[in-house]
Amino acid sequence: MIKQETLERKTFYKVGDFVLEYLVIIMILALVIVTAIVEPRFLTAANFRNVMGQFGPLSFTALGMTFIIMGGFIDLSLPGMISLIAMITLSLFDIIGEIPAMMVGMMLGIALGSLNGTILVKFGATTQAKALFITFGLSQLYGALSQLYTGGSPINRGAFEHPAPLTQALSSGTVGDLFPFYSFFNYIPFTFIVFLVFLAILFIFQKKTRLGRSINYTGGNFVAAELGGIPTKRITVMIYAICGLMVAIGAIVAFSRANVAAPVVIGANFERDSIMAVVVGGTSLAGGRGSVLRTVLGVSLIILLSNCMNLMRIDSHLQETFRGAVLVVAIWLDHRRHAKG
Amino acid sequence: MTIYTTHIQHRQDTQSFGKKVLKVLGKQKALVAIAVILIAMLFSSTNIFTLSHLRAFLLVASPELVIAFGVTFAVICRACDLSVGSVMSLSGIIAVQMINSGVPVFLAVLMAILSGSVIGFINGFLIVKQKTEAFIITLGMGLLLHGVALYISNGRPVSTRDPIFNAISNTNIPIPVIGYLPSIVVWMLLVGVITFCILRYTSFGRNCYALGGDYEVAEHSGINVVGTKWTAFVITGTCAAIAGVLLSSRFNTGSAVFGELTPLIVNCSVVIGGTSFAGGIGGIVQSGLGVLVMHMLRYGLSMFSIEGAFVSINQFVQTLVIGIVIVSIIAMDCYAIKRKKEDV
Repeated sequence: MIKQETLERKTFYKVGDFVLEYLVIIMILALVIVTAIVEPRFLTAANFRNVMGQFGPLSFTALGMTFIIMGGFIDLSLPGMISLIAMITLSLFDIIGEIPAMMVGMMLGIALGSLNGTILVKFGATTQAKALFITFGLSQLYGALSQLYTGGSPINRGAFEHPAPLTQALSSGTVGDLFPFYSFFNYIPFTFIVFLVFLAILFIFQKKTRLGRSINYTGGNFVAAELGGIPTKRITVMIYAICGLMVAIGAIVAFSRANVAAPVVIGANFERDSIMAVVVGGTSLAGGRGSVLRTVLGVSLIILLSNCMNLMRIDSHLQETFRGAVLVVAIWLDHRRHAKG
Repeated sequence: MTIYTTHIQHRQDTQSFGKKVLKVLGKQKALVAIAVILIAMLFSSTNIFTLSHLRAFLLVASPELVIAFGVTFAVICRACDLSVGSVMSLSGIIAVQMINSGVPVFLAVLMAILSGSVIGFINGFLIVKQKTEAFIITLGMGLLLHGVALYISNGRPVSTRDPIFNAISNTNIPIPVIGYLPSIVVWMLLVGVITFCILRYTSFGRNCYALGGDYEVAEHSGINVVGTKWTAFVITGTCAAIAGVLLSSRFNTGSAVFGELTPLIVNCSVVIGGTSFAGGIGGIVQSGLGVLVMHMLRYGLSMFSIEGAFVSINQFVQTLVIGIVIVSIIAMDCYAIKRKKEDV
């Protein structure tokens, strides 16, 4: 036992492994240094505020996706879910008030997530490839439902009768609005604080509770976990429900930032960006390894990457290519890393 | 001895007729679905059982059919390819751009198709040699290629006026009995026959089935598993590129938006046809039927919308139905695999 541990430690400190393990941090540092040299505007207060403001819907959905990928699954139903949740929540704003509507939205997120998980478990879709196709179909389904719900027309938030202070705060509020003591607080958006709160809750859940650790076992080896007495099926439904909740919050942040929310369009590309953030952060697609903190690094890298490319005035289509390349390389390195062990 | 054999025969005979029918129908999901849709169509006001409707239907379905023929190889090898949509739009754009810059049509088309082969080769390298998970790496590859397609077309549809390129898909070929067929359908049938023969009558095709059934066993029986699977991905990429050229030639336009939902829908269609994710089962004909089911659904639903009162929202109902079909078919496939495992 002790021997094995020392052995692991020895292999761990090989330089190559170290670089592979903390590649995302190295990449972030390299990106920051290079951009700071090439483009002096990168290190200004205005840009700092800009970068902080980017911790928007994507950071929430990526947190939810972390658990799913850690459990050895995948979820492509984010666009449809975001669309449906956003449309229903917005339509309830004038009827039952702002905060109750958001509550309904979160409940809906949990319900849809549980539905996804239950379908997968009931039909025995325990591999990633099967989960991918089923959740893709569900995304189409939810998207179509949201279109039917609004009749295809977008919802304009400006036309609401009642004021919506919380939505306003999520869209452009900063901590400085509440605590105007330091000018520094003006640079921290309210959404970022909400993000930190959820990050802390999920981190404690993952590391300190039995259920949280069961997710790692389920993703590591589904059959072994089941034989070991872990309720793998319930865990699967649970991780999808957690993802549903985070997606609901992501949807709320997403429509807070857009004045006009159109069905389907509002959720476009969230699935791919979330998967990218999680994988780039270093959570293994093979399941069983990973952490929400790694996802934060992944999200930061993606935000910084687009910020840097915007500052350097790189063509937006070329940016798309770069993002795809980062994803492919990240998946490739992930497999190389875990093929060794 | 004799008693024993008769006993077995007796047992086989007593398997009820209904069960046998169900077993056959379960294997031919696509045929059943087509029959159901056709019967439903009888109740719509437009008569779709005419030659012109059939022709238009095949015309629309052709590019996806060509892609599905290629994807069948990947799925039989127990993998899938989600980059086909981007390969399709990219090859179309490459062909159009090259023709616009003065390259002869023949060479431009050849280069466009070769681009698909090269991408298939890279996919194969990453999946077979580097042992990455096929669906996620091809998903990433699809995003990458979508970016490339956007970049080289500048985000706009690119068009050409070359008459020869236009003629590839838009010539009417006279055929006795049924009048004529658009050439895109003829190309589709040609690709279908070639892929069918490769899969059915060559050792490579047989090897595909073998390694899809059990990778380890195939390796130990002396099959060149790496080469076979790699070639399967090259074929998939090539077919997707051919589809791209055909589609671009039909519209005279190459655009990056052509293949956005195609990869997932085509992969689902292949599974609907009976080529299972468990690998080693299926074939070209089944995949073709699967794609036809998907298209009939769309085509049939749009026929119904003409008479319906809510024309404007009917498109959403179409998406809804397609979503339900995808979920239920894949879920059924998973359930069948699960049951089979439990039986053994």
